Amino acid sequence: MISLYRPGDSALHRLPAGPKLLGVMALALAVSLAPADPWLLAGSAVVVAGGYLLAGLGMAEPGRQVWILRWLVLVMLLSQVFFLPGRTVAANIVRVVAVILLANLVTLTTRTEDLVDAIERALTPLRHIGVNPGRVALMLSMTITTIPVIAGYAAQIREAQRARGVPVAPLAFVVPLLVMALKHADDLADALTARGVD
Amino acid sequence: MSERDIVLDNVSVEYPGGRTAVRELSVRLSERRIAVIGSNGSGKSTFARTLNGLVTPTTGAVRVHGLDPIRQAKELRRRVGFVFSNPDTQIIMPTVAEDAAFSLRRRGLSRAEIAARVAAALDRVGLTGYADSPAHSLSGGEKQLLALCAVLIGEPSLVVADEPTAYLDGVNSRRIAGFLLDQMPQQLVLVTHDLRLAARCDVAVRFDRGRLVDQGEPGPVIARYEHDQDLA
Repeated sequence: MISLYRPGDSALHRLPAGPKLLGVMALALAVSLAPADPWLLAGSAVVVAGGYLLAGLGMAEPGRQVWILRWLVLVMLLSQVFFLPGRTVAANIVRVVAVILLANLVTLTTRTEDLVDAIERALTPLRHIGVNPGRVALMLSMTITTIPVIAGYAAQIREAQRARGVPVAPLAFVVPLLVMALKHADDLADALTARGVD
Repeated sequence: MSERDIVLDNVSVEYPGGRTAVRELSVRLSERRIAVIGSNGSGKSTFARTLNGLVTPTTGAVRVHGLDPIRQAKELRRRVGFVFSNPDTQIIMPTVAEDAAFSLRRRGLSRAEIAARVAAALDRVGLTGYADSPAHSLSGGEKQLLALCAVLIGEPSLVVADEPTAYLDGVNSRRIAGFLLDQMPQQLVLVTHDLRLAARCDVAVRFDRGRLVDQGEPGPVIARYEHDQDLA
């Protein structure tokens, strides 16, 4: 799920990307390490919901995102429910959903270029060991941009197979998807070159 | 040599595998709107790509506005913008404004200057209301307008457009063509199968099996091309 920036003027929107990323990382760590106590987990959910309210995104947005995560929740539930106590299962699910929602809160309130700039700055010390922060930052931006394109290709292949009455077989799906993705990578490389990126 | 000269001297392009896409091409073009026509695989796109340095000639020399596309690639790509046929493959950044701004990176401009130029460029192509929208959520025509915007924001002196209307419906084709042919002040090299667009240019060149076989006023060049197609 790639959430994109929603323009706004809230305190969270105005907060610089670097501190925002650090804050979310700290919160995600706290949520992940919190004991499986119902009150603590409910508190985490309230903090996440409060973040969305503070960002002016309302309560519908976290609800929408939880709905998008329903299949992930289902898989987590089915894979744990027979082996772990109910409280632990609920805690694990709440932790994962809370961390994803927190990460989405950052992308919803921060322009991608600001996020990428912050990551580029954070990686600057790694120049000494041969890492090119500009290149890593560009790669991150392009990854975000490319995900909907690949999803679009997947939808096209499914439609083409349905149109020809072909049952959806994994190999018949993966091979054309890989070919289209590689062709897209080639074309994107040309587009980058044409726009002056070596 | 004028500032608008595009000069190719005995240029051949051979792709790995031995296929020769362009053969011994020598041409000088300085008109503002140049149409490039010919059947599939005739060498049109390869010719267009040599102008931006996307393709390196196997032999011969290319000068575009006085620059060598290979040796002076960095400077040339600031002066020559390239619009591809598939708008989806030209989007590099996630949102519309970010993608337009990407063309201005490493130019030493302040954030305020970049924001002002992005706003002006989006306004010029009618995408102002989409600045913060995900670029891939735009329609095909809007994506191609964004691609044009991303090229024009860098203020090139030449725009090379390789079948820019190939993926578009009639309305969006007219929109893009109107912008390229009538509103844009830059020199234009337009590779196209749409002969009505070619007819609106100042000169047409026709490729066939890698060779430049005809050149001149668009009307007669197109008429001879259509005649040859009828005979084929």
